[in-house]
Amino acid sequence: MSLQKRKKSIDADVKITYKTYLKPLLYLLPFIISISIFTIYPFFNAFVISLKENYKALSGSFTGFGFGNYEYVLTNETFILALKNTITYVLWVVPISTALSLLVAVLLNRRTKLQAFFQTAYFLPLVTSAIAIGLVWRWLFNFDYGLINFVLSRLGADAINWLNNPSYAKIALIVYGIWSMMPFTIILLLAGLQNINKQYLIAAQVDGSRPTQTFAYITVPLLAPTIGLTMIVNMITAFKVFNELFALFNGKPGPAYSLYTVIYFMYEQFYVKYRLGTAAASAIALFFIVMILTLIQLYMQRKWKNY
Amino acid sequence: MKVTIKELTKKFGDFTAVDHVSAEFDDGKLIALLGPSGCGKTTMLNMLSGILPSTEGKIFFDDEDVTDLSADKRGVGLVFQNYALYPHMTVLENVCFPLRIRGVPKKERIEKAMKFINLVHIEDYLDRKPAELSGGQQQRVAITRALIKKPKLLLLDEPLSNLDAKLRVEMREEIRRIQKESGVTTIFVTHDQEEASSISDSIMLLKRGVQQQFGTVDDLCDNPVNLFTADFLGTPTINQVHGTWSEKGFVADGQTEIISFNVNIPTGTRLIYASRAEALKLNQDKQFEAEILEKYKVGKDTLVRLKYGNGSLRAYTEDKTIQIGDIVGVGMKDFGVFLFEAESGKRLL
Ligand SMILES: Nc1ncnc2c1ncn2[C@@H]1O[C@H](COP(=O)(O)OP(=O)(O)OP(=O)(O)O)[C@@H](O)[C@H]1O
Ligand SMILES: [Mg+2]
Repeated sequence: MSLQKRKKSIDADVKITYKTYLKPLLYLLPFIISISIFTIYPFFNAFVISLKENYKALSGSFTGFGFGNYEYVLTNETFILALKNTITYVLWVVPISTALSLLVAVLLNRRTKLQAFFQTAYFLPLVTSAIAIGLVWRWLFNFDYGLINFVLSRLGADAINWLNNPSYAKIALIVYGIWSMMPFTIILLLAGLQNINKQYLIAAQVDGSRPTQTFAYITVPLLAPTIGLTMIVNMITAFKVFNELFALFNGKPGPAYSLYTVIYFMYEQFYVKYRLGTAAASAIALFFIVMILTLIQLYMQRKWKNY
Repeated sequence: MKVTIKELTKKFGDFTAVDHVSAEFDDGKLIALLGPSGCGKTTMLNMLSGILPSTEGKIFFDDEDVTDLSADKRGVGLVFQNYALYPHMTVLENVCFPLRIRGVPKKERIEKAMKFINLVHIEDYLDRKPAELSGGQQQRVAITRALIKKPKLLLLDEPLSNLDAKLRVEMREEIRRIQKESGVTTIFVTHDQEEASSISDSIMLLKRGVQQQFGTVDDLCDNPVNLFTADFLGTPTINQVHGTWSEKGFVADGQTEIISFNVNIPTGTRLIYASRAEALKLNQDKQFEAEILEKYKVGKDTLVRLKYGNGSLRAYTEDKTIQIGDIVGVGMKDFGVFLFEAESGKRLL
């Protein structure tokens, strides 16, 4: 490198002024603008709206700031039911879909030739409309003609009224939720599995480890960071369950209004009842619940993942 | 345990990485698997450990045919070139892993582990993760992990190649010591002939998957079967001069004098004359003349480089008066001088 050039690069290293940030900022601008308009502004706006009492969307009038909306939401029976349903949904869907996805990912990771096909196949639900898929599931769960009841009858079991019996409807929603969460999880876990150095697995085998032991003692611990990441992302997604519910029960919150979820509650407050204040308050409440749970999970993971 | 391989072969598609190698590795010996990069050393080791299935041939541990036995059932200890310590386990957990999967209770396996740990001196890092260890420390952990299950066969794949020169010498002595103390049959892969010579009971030399020679260090140095072996072993590298066989002896290219040898070779055969530096003597029993090109001090001797024919020769001398440019008479001792057929590399003398 010539002396002059080197001097220049040293200068570039030393002088960090606001000009240094100008060019990168320019590149980032489209992203910053769009995220400001569609994410950051609405978030703060929702926060402000949630504090406005008796807020009228059309006129923009309100009677003052306070926690009235929160009081309404947190004591509302429907909201509490929605919260219970959502938490039940999360507690079933996230662990089961993660475990099943891990199983599928491990199987896929072995068959390298079929992998490309399966990767596409499992990706498909991600890019297909949730409503369209919901219709398919509605057919699968259909009492009279559904494939699931058909299989049950073949096995000699009684047909189940999946979509109209509140307790079975919950199971149907969870099954559909697990299924819809798997593709994304499988792809992340598969990527994680492929990042594990094969040498550790070979070393374990030479050490006398059987495949199941290698999986438990080597693969899973090495995959822990990825598993943790997918669980956090999936938990956040599961807390926002709405599409699955809407599609499966034709826009209703389950049979006999039994399957309210937090987002469905929010949707109803907003689109059906035009109560913007309580809708915003329930969104912010959900935000804090998810945030706290994510922080707890992150904290536990840091203790768990330790290399 | 004695290890016998018969016609062991590995093909990757059309490419033959290991080509019909047969040998017997005696119980308790340390055998070096030597050869240039890509000659099939790792492939051979992987077949012995059961990681890689062989294409042809058989492997016997004592009298048992283990050719089709999977790696987890062979009871072989393997130290990988990059050690492959489990990154999420501490040193102690790494070392205990082979016992853990055999269901040995925790207390007992730590007791057993401590014996080996004291042998290789890694007591101070038991709670560290592999990422917090130096290369030499990692290597000792890897060796301990391989030894703890009391393997019948210990395989080491270039375990010293990541270490600096000093640590390398220390560690190879340590490996030798550990091997002697545990008495386990050991195969040690290296591409460094000096390392192989200094550590092993015998050496197997490979070239492009084909076994060149298998014997003790002295065998290979004093009695090489071909030019490749002669060239690969020994420091400094063996002297080589191209030439032709005339009726009575060897004539180097560009020279007229005949160096006579007591051997029958068809006249006109293209040859390579090869001699160890130690096998030449200056100004004694002169057989040919050569000019001194360079001289270096090596310990209390002087190493000189001589111009002869189209090549050059290295020789040792104690004569301090020799100057660059001198023409000296060169004689040969009765060892370390060979003639190879130029085309095939086959040894003729
Ligand atoms: N899986 C494979 N597929 C195709 N060719 C392979 C494979 N593994 C090894 N080879 C080839 O076989 C030959 C021997 O490889 P091997 O790893 O045994 O060499 P090596 O003697 O251990 O070399 P090094 O000293 O560089 O480690 C090489 O030419 C290599 O390219
Ligand atoms: Mg190798």
